[in-house]
Amino acid sequence: MAGAPSLRQIAFYGKGGIGKSTTSQNTLAAMSHYFEKNIMIVGCDPKADSTRLILHEKAQDTILSLAAELGTIEDVEMEQARLWGKGLFDKETPGGWINCAESGGPEPGVGCAGRGVITAINFLEEEGAYDEEGLDFVSYDVLGDVVCGGFAMPIREGKAQEIYIVMSGEMMAMYAANNISKGILKYANTGGVRLAGLVCNARMTDKEYDLALELAQRLGTQLIHFVPRNNIVQHAELRRMTVVEYSPYSDQAREYKELARKIVYNDMKVIPTPITMDELEELLLAFGLEDEVDESQVGKAAEA
Amino acid sequence: MFVLGFHFPASMGNHIPDELVAEKIADVDISDVKEIKLLMGTKERDKEWLSYTNKDTFLFRAMVHYFKEENPDRVQKYMIYMNRYQMSEISKRVDAADDETMKLCHNLDNMEQFRIEVA
Repeated sequence: MAGAPSLRQIAFYGKGGIGKSTTSQNTLAAMSHYFEKNIMIVGCDPKADSTRLILHEKAQDTILSLAAELGTIEDVEMEQARLWGKGLFDKETPGGWINCAESGGPEPGVGCAGRGVITAINFLEEEGAYDEEGLDFVSYDVLGDVVCGGFAMPIREGKAQEIYIVMSGEMMAMYAANNISKGILKYANTGGVRLAGLVCNARMTDKEYDLALELAQRLGTQLIHFVPRNNIVQHAELRRMTVVEYSPYSDQAREYKELARKIVYNDMKVIPTPITMDELEELLLAFGLEDEVDESQVGKAAEA
Repeated sequence: MFVLGFHFPASMGNHIPDELVAEKIADVDISDVKEIKLLMGTKERDKEWLSYTNKDTFLFRAMVHYFKEENPDRVQKYMIYMNRYQMSEISKRVDAADDETMKLCHNLDNMEQFRIEVA
């Protein structure tokens, strides 16, 4: 594996739209700024929004789009594909630094996005991105709930070792978290990947903390942090900035700083114990998020 | 595993006994604190001050510890949601006999933001 032995390779997984890219960039920004960690972000989402807040850009050129434009992946230069963070995260700024790459993906409906992810990772390895002096963390931001094997590539190929699942107290987010745990379990023995915790990116629904905590415990892991909803995140995004840069003394910056501290010092990495669909539904019932179903009414129309 | 911000080694698993958390805050000096004041809410019209004075509880000690940590000027401090929920969770087990504390735990469990001061 490329990189120094002390290099930690982490990944943020979660249901589409749950706020993975926002949560990961704000957390990584806090790890870099407050804890002086040097980080490479590898965006593994075809929509290429995993690095925009660090780069203060709409979206950077992806490795696959550069390869398509220039002819082949061999024609792509590292300086084109991997960009240095702006502002607080520049290499010349005191404290930690962040650099960024986006794998990109195929045209919608054509090809396999997972292949793009592995092409991008191989490119970065061959070009020495993992051997950058002082690099402490590589972070992968991965779309979806690994129903598609392609998006499990960072796990399957033994790249991401430490998985943080971004979820909320909503049914589909919890379903995805359980599915991702199944994916981790599948490759845990062959690749050494481990579940490092759930991050609840809260929707501020009733009993959300209790529900997230219960799911974490059933999966054999920890609820590493509960990130409350706060409008300042959206205000920062409008300026293409992380909260840490936009408002470093804000309450929300304190929340991300605390999550960053926990990830930096986290040693709890487990083989998860996914639950069945029935158990998941029981959990939702127990916390009052689903109504008990009268089996005699299943499949009957309202007017029947 | 992190409880109230304290790190417990992974070898201890994901259920940390309440006694071990209580040990971490056993040495906090509460002698100079008579009252904990909590400001609940963010919207001006809905803000509410809560007062808590029961010094014989885990919750009181945990809150004083939280307030004093990295706060040499003893200024009003934002409460991290996760720490607050964990304080309430443990307090509901170890302070269950105290009605005043249970009432406060009920407030701490909601989605409002809290800030803490001491007097």
